Amino acid sequence: VSLVHINIIITFTISLIGLLIYRSHLISSLLCLQGIILSLEAPVTILNSHFTLASIIPIILLVFAACEAALRLALLVIVSNTYGTDYVQNLNLLPC
Amino acid sequence: MNPFISIMLLSTLILSTMIVTISSHWLFAWIGLEMNMMAIIPIMMKKPTPRATEASTKYFLTQATASALLMLAIIINLMYSSQWTIMKLFNPTASILMTMALAIKLGLAPFHFWVPEVTQGIPLTTGLILLTWQKLAPISILYQISPSINLHLMVTMSFLSILIGGWGGLNQTQLRKIMAYSSIAHMGWMTTILLYNPSLTMLNLLIYIIMTFTMFTLLAQNSTTTTLLLSQTWNTMPIMTTFTMLTLLSMGGLPPLTGFMPKWMIIQELTKNESLLLPTLMAITALLNLYFYMRLAYSTALTLFPSTNNMKMKWQFYPTKQMTLLPTAIVLSTMLLPLTPMFFILL
Repeated sequence: VSLVHINIIITFTISLIGLLIYRSHLISSLLCLQGIILSLEAPVTILNSHFTLASIIPIILLVFAACEAALRLALLVIVSNTYGTDYVQNLNLLPC
Repeated sequence: MNPFISIMLLSTLILSTMIVTISSHWLFAWIGLEMNMMAIIPIMMKKPTPRATEASTKYFLTQATASALLMLAIIINLMYSSQWTIMKLFNPTASILMTMALAIKLGLAPFHFWVPEVTQGIPLTTGLILLTWQKLAPISILYQISPSINLHLMVTMSFLSILIGGWGGLNQTQLRKIMAYSSIAHMGWMTTILLYNPSLTMLNLLIYIIMTFTMFTLLAQNSTTTTLLLSQTWNTMPIMTTFTMLTLLSMGGLPPLTGFMPKWMIIQELTKNESLLLPTLMAITALLNLYFYMRLAYSTALTLFPSTNNMKMKWQFYPTKQMTLLPTAIVLSTMLLPLTPMFFILL
């Protein structure tokens, strides 16, 4: 309800909309996915009110976000190898 | 694929679903779902054809978005309840977000667009893993949060899934896409009953997994992926035509076969809860599913499809592919109906 919460919610929403609406390049959607997870780190790290012990949960979340980023970059490399670019209009084989 | 990598990927796949089902901390459930996605993408890319690449990319994008939405729902739940235990959710917003995230993971309508495309691009056995094993983890989470799911959202999504699974499969000749639309429709049936009696969701999931396993194993014997190839099985393995027809009719939900059991139980539970219009419409829409199963059974077992004369005189070799558990699966997917009281009490 405070300004910090609204800031985080707006970050998440902008990244989510950026993930869902991308014009031609695949990499912009992948960047926005990273931005989503980053905006979810903030409540877990900072906004635990009055919780004074150290917690490992944000670090584990970051580890899995990094693994996911590696996987998405690997997929981007394979797409780029088969098509030359990362335009999303190239991914049109499967609806047939 | 290198056997070490294959063993590592399969064991990660199995371990991830186990982690999701036995965890009591929301972070572990999220970790299990992430591991699930990471383990299955190399399995989908065994043969790096452009179709497999596209299928993997689409699968990854949808599942990663669903994971991110799930994490947001977990954090909103954390804000409102200050604890990470998996139980019913404490905020309606978190509940709606988590239901939508798990619906994206399962392939419920209106988030079903990835299922036919991804199932089409991957080999048959990988499609089997995708449509059966991957459903276990999200449904176990849905089972655990079922007291707090919004009724209107769930019933809308499931009824829309049944409609889209029925109508979407009508225009397909590719068998993998037909199985994908059948998966969407069955997921719809499963999630309809989730809010009234979650045990029946588990029963429907079990019967669906047995029937889909049977169907995919039968299709993998001849590597048939289209209706045209399926109609040639009378020539290569005649007994498979009978089994294919029986399994297809069981999936359509015809009475003396097993597939009738979950539909019967679900309609009974829904009418006990005084909703009469919904089960009527669901039962009528299940006829659409039955129509395209019947079309496949007709072209496989009941008629000779038009083909050239050379195709009619194939050598009948001994099958070299391993039919793992096929006789057991066929018996289970056609003859379990008399055991209904046992399942009803067990689950």
